Amino acid sequence: MKNNLGNMLKKELRDMFRDKKSLAMMLVIPIFIPLLVIGMSTLFEMQMTQDPSEYNLIGFDYELSEVENNIIQELNINPIIGTEEELKQKFDNNEIYLYVLKDDNNYTINGDDSEATTYASMLVESYFNSYKNYLQNEYLTDKNINSDEVINIINLKENIVKQDSYFANYIINYAFLFIIMAITVSATYPATDTTAGEKERGTLETLLTFPIRSKDIIIGKFLSVSISSIITGLISLILTIVSLLLANNMFTIYEGSNLMLPVTSLIFAIVVIVAYSFLISGLCIAIASNSKTFKEAQSALTPLTFISFFPGMIAFMINIQTTNILALIPFINFTLIFTDITNGNIDYLNIFLMLLSTIVIIVVVLSIIIKQYKSEKVLFNS
Amino acid sequence: MLKVENIKKKFVRINNKKEREEFYANNGISFNAKDSEIIGILGPNGAGKTTLLRMIAGILNPTSGSIKFDELNYQDNEIEIKKNIAYLSGNTKIYNTLSPYELLKMCCEIYGVSESEIDTRIKSIATSLNMNDFLYNRIEKLSTGQTQRVNIARCLVHDPKYYILDEATSGLDIISSQVILDFIKNERNKGKTILYSTHYMEEAENICDYVIMINKGVIIKEGTPNKIKEDTKTTNLRDAFFSLIGGVSDEE
Repeated sequence: MKNNLGNMLKKELRDMFRDKKSLAMMLVIPIFIPLLVIGMSTLFEMQMTQDPSEYNLIGFDYELSEVENNIIQELNINPIIGTEEELKQKFDNNEIYLYVLKDDNNYTINGDDSEATTYASMLVESYFNSYKNYLQNEYLTDKNINSDEVINIINLKENIVKQDSYFANYIINYAFLFIIMAITVSATYPATDTTAGEKERGTLETLLTFPIRSKDIIIGKFLSVSISSIITGLISLILTIVSLLLANNMFTIYEGSNLMLPVTSLIFAIVVIVAYSFLISGLCIAIASNSKTFKEAQSALTPLTFISFFPGMIAFMINIQTTNILALIPFINFTLIFTDITNGNIDYLNIFLMLLSTIVIIVVVLSIIIKQYKSEKVLFNS
Repeated sequence: MLKVENIKKKFVRINNKKEREEFYANNGISFNAKDSEIIGILGPNGAGKTTLLRMIAGILNPTSGSIKFDELNYQDNEIEIKKNIAYLSGNTKIYNTLSPYELLKMCCEIYGVSESEIDTRIKSIATSLNMNDFLYNRIEKLSTGQTQRVNIARCLVHDPKYYILDEATSGLDIISSQVILDFIKNERNKGKTILYSTHYMEEAENICDYVIMINKGVIIKEGTPNKIKEDTKTTNLRDAFFSLIGGVSDEE
């Protein structure tokens, strides 16, 4: 009797687990993660294994010399000869990928910015480089100049280390970012249902007549939404790891990447999921409890879904590294630390700062909601 | 004893000119309610009955004035007071995903009924309210009358000293209404205090020991039904009410 928190939590969990929509949000959203991993892997694999020589149907509005024909054969180009009008029509009908027009020594490459033209132009550029090279050689030889000394006046060597599993890292980072998003989306429904939904259904009035402290009502609701979010987060984590392991066997882009998380990384990944679930549940309840209706709460929560996702996405795009300051900033800290952990970089100070910042925010948010639940304006704002 | 002293409740509304306007839903209401007494709170829609009862039930806070249950007030003893009251309104909604048994069990746990006593108490209440046929069905599947019986059962589980009933028979058929009226009389006979608001004057005349008539947030008359009829020289409470407000105005 003195402590009704347990009764409240039991009531909220029972409500949540009996509600089909809450269950669906909790369990269905993580299913999108394997789809995302496999989908992105397929896309990148296609890009990586794309052979430009497949786009070898090139139009020319002039007869090719023997030398030109030799280069074309070497590059496996399939030349289509025709007038400008014929070539244009063939290009419009997708029968050729681009066409070259000649006017004396001026050549014009015609195409558009499609993927096919891009690949075909790579072939044509190689063709013109070789042809230009041949002509320059001929010219210099006629003048009794050592062409090698002129053309190769400087030597250029490429020593670019190929980054291992660039695409794989990209997908892994996004998959873990998607876990954060899945937790956010799954927290919004039960948070809305337990606050604005309860108001709309009229059961809040009944609840307020019970001898229960506002604190117990709020913490009960907060814990139930957090539990739902943690379940979503853990299912998402399991599905992410399983789908990455599957993708590792299916796609060559994962060659050289280590997808098996060490136990320590796994434990800290779970710590991040739990911390984020608590934070997002508190925020969702705080926002939704100010709304009169379910619909209004859902609209009010939409920006939160974006806020939870975008800072992390931008951090990936511009390659921001975790610092002690960033470890304190909500949303961005979870994604950055999550990425660090999955890459095997565990910084205990940053994790501590993230937890500290989360605890402070949760305490502040819960105090505000408890106050709200004593305010008639919030409870009976209709 | 329940003592209500000069309570006022101010709200803000937006008027026709789209301006914010303060108004008093209750403006200086005082009365006492003794044990074994049914107090009828009568008045038309919008008179301030629901606001008054919500304040007494601790759902709303008065702007000024005091409410004391056996000398205890909400500021210092909210939980203690709520343990001894039951609030039921015509609009009271209960958790549809639960069965009546689960709801009553939850209420027992919240009110601190001992674990060993819960099952016996629920079954006894269910039998007295003829709920055994649907005790384990989901509340969402029950009829309005059955749901209202579950609501009454919810009020009974902790054996409260005070009942606050706001338009509890509103929208119910004659049989379901009678169940509630019988319940009110039974509880009065057990020594409980019942505050009963309604706009059905005949109903109030039949069961109330004392009547408080409210209009526009203030008490316009109070006394036993017979005393009110005598003072207003009328034969029923409906006529008495109209004689007090000077006929039917547009606002009513």
